[in-house]
Amino acid sequence: MDHSKKEDSRSKITNRLPKPASSILVAEDDRVTLNLLAKNLRSWGYEVLTAENGQQAWKLLKRPNLQIAILDWMMPGLEGPELCHQLRQLSKPRYTYLILLTSRDSSSDLIQGLEAGADDYMTKPINLMELRARLKTAQRIIELEDNLIKVRKMLSRLASTDSLTGVWNRRKFMRYLKEEFNRAQREGRSLGVLMVDMDNFKEINDRYGHPAGDLLLRQLAQLIRHSLRNYDRIARYGGDEFILLLPGSDNRGTQTVADRLLHLVRQKKFRTGTGMTTALNLSIGGTATGSARDLDPKSAVRTADRALYQAKKAGRGRAVVIDYEPGEKQANKK
Amino acid sequence: MAASEKSGHPINRQEVLERIGGDESFLQELLAIYREEFEKKYAELEKAVAEKDFKTIREAGHYLKGASANLSLPALREAAWKMEQAGASSDLKAAGEALGSLKTEFRRLQEFLGSRS
Repeated sequence: MDHSKKEDSRSKITNRLPKPASSILVAEDDRVTLNLLAKNLRSWGYEVLTAENGQQAWKLLKRPNLQIAILDWMMPGLEGPELCHQLRQLSKPRYTYLILLTSRDSSSDLIQGLEAGADDYMTKPINLMELRARLKTAQRIIELEDNLIKVRKMLSRLASTDSLTGVWNRRKFMRYLKEEFNRAQREGRSLGVLMVDMDNFKEINDRYGHPAGDLLLRQLAQLIRHSLRNYDRIARYGGDEFILLLPGSDNRGTQTVADRLLHLVRQKKFRTGTGMTTALNLSIGGTATGSARDLDPKSAVRTADRALYQAKKAGRGRAVVIDYEPGEKQANKK
Repeated sequence: MAASEKSGHPINRQEVLERIGGDESFLQELLAIYREEFEKKYAELEKAVAEKDFKTIREAGHYLKGASANLSLPALREAAWKMEQAGASSDLKAAGEALGSLKTEFRRLQEFLGSRS
């Protein structure tokens, strides 16, 4: 019975606390103000972290679950506005609401503080009732900002993936391509590019209907995706065309990946959604940059496309990997 | 009582107690911290005035201004503000005067608090 009583009082206390993750940083070199704020914030149910100089504050500010920070304008080390500015340069997964504290009172200071990225501004001596009210506003803004961050993430995912197959879309692929080209050039490594095209896509569409075509594209995308290393990239390039990026692969490695894909696809029966299965044939064209310099992403895609054309012309159902051909601009430079 | 507290007393107790929810023992705690900090900063200021170190004069003045304001110590706040201004305008004479005011006002506060307890 004694035991249950204890449990009971504990749960009451937990119920009274506002929200589990409401942690506040108070950064203030004046220990009187620091103690005054910390004590009251704790009595309001916040978890309080304290810092007495700018560097300490900066360390704590970077914590991902820190929601609110009250920063003194003038502190040894880093001053309040500078901290605001630095924090806003980081893209934290959750929003941190910043309140600047000062005993100055001219309006130009206010503007300077807000421009540095502060959300609110209070002058000393602090009126605690006012602070409490402002913290309520802060909670509201934090929720809004958190939602915005979520929506932004979702939008960026939607904007970068192909909705049918779930692999990257062409736009995102071009960005990866540029990044990987820069890296390959910097590190002196080769980069492989493959273009994959379904040979019999039109017939399948005609025979089983467009829903079957969609289903096949999805299955093929999954199959390719699972056969790649986790730093390779696959994107849907167009209708029944996929493009692959293989960092670190030279011509031979690129050819090996292409052959493996052909093999995997030949072995698999693809569902059509009509109760019947079908075989798929692929043509693959590719290139690798090897030790070439003056790399240009567009030329690599163009070269892979040319190789794909050769594969088709030679009778389809095969993979052709050719040497990287620099674009005209690059060729003229030499 | 209210009138005299506003004009003459070194601390506006009513105002500061309101700010901290009427917690008398917490006020004593804060005043103890203030005393410690004041003595530290005062020593810094004496040295800074002797060395004409206006940056420290301004910063320590600013610091004491904030702490004094938070504890509703109007006379000390005023003296600290003058110190900060003296630092900002590199006015050694004003800094010396502010140092004197700080010392006087701090002693008044100590006497006042001592006489009450």
